[in-house]
Amino acid sequence: MVAKKIRTVTDVICPFCGTLCDDLEVDIDIKEEKVIEVRNGCQIGTKKYFASNPSDHRYDKPLIKEKGSFKEVSWDEAIDKAANILIKAKRPLLYGFSSTECEAQGKGVELAEILGSILDNTASVCHGPSLLAIQDVGAPTSTLGEYKNRADLIIFWGSNPVHAHPRHLSRYSDFIRGYFRKDGRNDRFIVVVDPRNTHTAQIADIHVQINPSEDYELINAIRAILRGVEIDADEISGVPIEKVKELVETMKSCNFGVIFFGMGLTQTLSHHRNIDAAICLVRELNDHTKFLLTPMRGHYNVAGANQVFSWQTGYSYSIDFSRGYPRYNPGEFSSVDVLMRDEIDASLIVASDPASNFPAASVKNMFKYPLIVIEPHHTPTSVNADIILPPAIAGIECEGTAYRMDSVPLRLRKVKEAPGECLTDKEILEKLIEAVKKKKGE
Amino acid sequence: MSLNNLILITCRTINQGVALEGGKNTKENVRAAGICAFDSEDFKKLDCLVGTPVKVITDHGEVIVYSTISEEGPHPGIIFIPMGPWANQVVNPDSQACGTPTYKGMKAGVEVIQSGKVLDAVGLISLLKEA
Repeated sequence: MVAKKIRTVTDVICPFCGTLCDDLEVDIDIKEEKVIEVRNGCQIGTKKYFASNPSDHRYDKPLIKEKGSFKEVSWDEAIDKAANILIKAKRPLLYGFSSTECEAQGKGVELAEILGSILDNTASVCHGPSLLAIQDVGAPTSTLGEYKNRADLIIFWGSNPVHAHPRHLSRYSDFIRGYFRKDGRNDRFIVVVDPRNTHTAQIADIHVQINPSEDYELINAIRAILRGVEIDADEISGVPIEKVKELVETMKSCNFGVIFFGMGLTQTLSHHRNIDAAICLVRELNDHTKFLLTPMRGHYNVAGANQVFSWQTGYSYSIDFSRGYPRYNPGEFSSVDVLMRDEIDASLIVASDPASNFPAASVKNMFKYPLIVIEPHHTPTSVNADIILPPAIAGIECEGTAYRMDSVPLRLRKVKEAPGECLTDKEILEKLIEAVKKKKGE
Repeated sequence: MSLNNLILITCRTINQGVALEGGKNTKENVRAAGICAFDSEDFKKLDCLVGTPVKVITDHGEVIVYSTISEEGPHPGIIFIPMGPWANQVVNPDSQACGTPTYKGMKAGVEVIQSGKVLDAVGLISLLKEA
């Protein structure tokens, strides 16, 4: 009998975006423990699996920067130095957590509490405003399966799933056949609200081309028209009033509508006020028909980070432990704001690349002080770090729990072994907690 | 040539997503995210070839990126840089006390440059360390 050379793992959960596709099949070369084929994944998810193979871009041993270049060290030495940096700091920042699993996130909260640090996840720079709005006015929402089976009007507002959530359309919202939507795409009406004629807009039934940063006006105009107010204007936010009225009629006459919203609402000038207005609109639409909304979460487990932080501290992001108990105040304790005020004197970054994703002025301040990263790949953050702790990639090289964008928890699968001396994020954080406790005499 | 009174928005693209998973210090990442997409009519006014490096200037900084024509036009007056290190040199860090910087909707100007080049992600970000 010929020995098997390939191991196939099925029903793999893709750890890339908030869609958390759960039907991937991954082939592993048994001898070399490498990914050689990924089926069913999108372009980005597939790339993530291939990028987990050992390469020039992948760290497999702990590294410490000495005189400008990295030196390989033992785990004990790296953890010891990292713990020293964190203990010495008066106001350390723990940031990231959205591309790792929930158990590791829980350990991050524990470490933050012991250190009295600031704790934040990547929602801070993406859907933080959505969380603020949901805390203000609640959110009528549902799981993605309901949309798949029932929704006949899908509105993508400020989101471009063709690029950012490539399989969302075919799994949940557009082409997929559902129990009450037997003819798939033909049974659904797709609307895209975006300043650009995005690739999603190009396959939609209506594209509402809105002026940039004027979503708030349009949402409130729709609310007014819905209440029967006659608006004395030819256009709202660059959209002809007739088209706005047509959109309102479409919304009122559907059986089951949903708004999927993205960064187009959260990262423009009105931030959480856009989402406030969108949630109120959806609430008012429920006087006429069934309507819901769901944020298009980016990182695969950013929803999980919000869940874990919430159940352990009471708050979903932007948390300060400096007084020994958690305090919450986005704008004051959020990562970019504390960095802009130059308050942070050491950072521990877990599974994130803030140097690429934060505005330049805040990155400049982060680089002034010691920087520790738990990061598998070469990134602009890691190459400028002082200590690099290489993890196994969650969802590829270790198991764990992740929350989909609709807050459904799914169990990530391990498909292969991690290269070199990599430990899981959870193990690394446990070692850090142990070292910090020991040094503090606890 | 130069253009003023444009609005800059930053967004995701699938190529940027693939490049960030495939290696952030690769040329693919520069080609995916170190670009500025113009409306085709706006681009004609710049009077240059596709791929010519341009400097994008906002109140918050400036960055050199490759020019390209948008596949998602027409969007006159709007320019677009994929999310990433290049875009973040010119975005508005003000979060209006909600934590999230204003990554979209900055006023911007663009000029075709005579000298200077598009840096890779690590080169560009490392400048912030030295500064």
